[in-house]
Amino acid sequence: MAKNGAELALSVRDLIYRSVVLMDSQKVTEWLEGLCAPDFEYLITAYSHEIRREQEWFHGRRDELLDVVKMMPYHNTDHSPFTRHVSVYTVDVDESCLTADAVSSLVVYQNMFDGINSHLDSGDTRLFCSGKYYDRVSLEGDQPRLLQRNVRLDTRRLDKGSHFLL
Amino acid sequence: MARSAKQWNRKPDLNAVEYVDSRIYTDEEIFERELERIWKKTWVLACHESEIPAAYDFRTMSIAREPIVICRGEDERVRAFLNVCPHRANLIVRAPAGSFAVGEPSGNPKRMTCMFHGWQFNMKGECTEITRMKQGYQERLGKDDVGLRELRCEVGYGGFVWVTLDDEAMSLQDFVGSSLDFLMTELESEPLEVFHYHKSIIDSNYKLWHDTNSEFYHDYMHYHNRVTSMMQPGYFDRKYTAFANGHASVGSMEVKYDAYHGFQSRDLSFPGMPRNGWKMVDMFPGYTYNLRGSSLRIDTMTPISANKVMIEFRGLGLKKDTPEERRQRIRDHNSIWGPFGRNLHEDLLGITGQGVAMQPHQEVRYVLHGRHEDNTIHDEIGMRHYYEEWSRRMGISPIDPAKKLATAAAE
Repeated sequence: MAKNGAELALSVRDLIYRSVVLMDSQKVTEWLEGLCAPDFEYLITAYSHEIRREQEWFHGRRDELLDVVKMMPYHNTDHSPFTRHVSVYTVDVDESCLTADAVSSLVVYQNMFDGINSHLDSGDTRLFCSGKYYDRVSLEGDQPRLLQRNVRLDTRRLDKGSHFLL
Repeated sequence: MARSAKQWNRKPDLNAVEYVDSRIYTDEEIFERELERIWKKTWVLACHESEIPAAYDFRTMSIAREPIVICRGEDERVRAFLNVCPHRANLIVRAPAGSFAVGEPSGNPKRMTCMFHGWQFNMKGECTEITRMKQGYQERLGKDDVGLRELRCEVGYGGFVWVTLDDEAMSLQDFVGSSLDFLMTELESEPLEVFHYHKSIIDSNYKLWHDTNSEFYHDYMHYHNRVTSMMQPGYFDRKYTAFANGHASVGSMEVKYDAYHGFQSRDLSFPGMPRNGWKMVDMFPGYTYNLRGSSLRIDTMTPISANKVMIEFRGLGLKKDTPEERRQRIRDHNSIWGPFGRNLHEDLLGITGQGVAMQPHQEVRYVLHGRHEDNTIHDEIGMRHYYEEWSRRMGISPIDPAKKLATAAAE
């Protein structure tokens, strides 16, 4: 890591945690426009042991994700919000100090609103999925920004699924 | 106007199979009867051959609670067996998929090994090893006496592996009949390959998922389908066709994917399928071939109880796809059919709601299947046809499940 790498690593951690705060608050547009690079790429991936292949369950660039957010009100969805618990495990700043790669653990809880039967389920908190964030961060410019996020899931059975990004 | 309890509980003034009694979705005795009379007697779409591409590859699944192992032999042939050791009925293979080419802690390579006592079996189901056989069984029992139970297994209709528990079932060809004829160019011109798999376990009856797949009136639930299909030319001209054995198909149209903000026209397709075309076949008792231009989606179901079902979702393209073509198919597939896609979550919300509103010990509901629109897209002929076959096999009436029917097939 370069001489000022420790400071840069701290700024990367701060970026990742701020992104989680915005996502948990469902301020996805703020996250995309405020903390993600214009060519930000987002993926949700997993490995299927059943068919023994890598899976790419979601893929989009920043503009496409903004479209997803824009179109959400047109869709029927389970409105139970997510709470993400993220711990940044490692941050590796490259020698040029232009990019950094980070690995974070991810646990997503769903706080039931609709659920299956809202009379019974509303207010409960359930585990939705676990995995890791693999992030690439740009260190150029006035602030670090996410260049790429791969949400790598360990959980592969998602039952009703979700319209919300992880 | 709203109704009193007496009015609500009165049977609809509709003809037979234009409505069904909700107990067919909730009663555990009916569910057990379905396992015995339908799932144990029919062909089940188990997996795709591309999931077991090499000799010694295997895949496990279950039918009517019977554990099944499917494997490819040294002769490249795909076979299916009960995944049950003939010694003390242990489950032989525990993983969802893999290869027997590698040895296991209790057994040799190229064998299925029951870890319990080390009995081994080859890819033809023959027992090849009984540990300390002579010492324990002398001349009373040998390897020839304890082969695995082989199940009828065929590969077809796009490379899918079909299995039946019933040695006396009609042939697969007779079972499918002509229901897949209008898809055969797309399914058989080029080898297919599975690229997507995920599963859901939903608290609802398996037939409710199949009902949803069997009708398009629920496009009101899908904003995507309303703008790309319902509001486009040709939608209301699509017609259902009913086939023998309870299957039904719906004809194609040109879907306008770019009518949905942010989506694009699907230039990639399947051999013989017009660009942006859409064909669908719903097969009794619970599989759907759903081909939307660039990707083929296959739904299969494993009923777990009257109010619980596992649905497996597969996405397929062509084996010869270039990396760019495969990436495009994956994106197109998952944009609406993935676990984070626009449509699938909505469909699953639909049957989840039905699962809440129709449970054991609730009041009986009457579920309407009575739309008649000359077999066009919002006609409910798909469901009516399904329950005619269901009734024939079950020997009971879907509008009065307590009433047993005196039909030859039922007995």
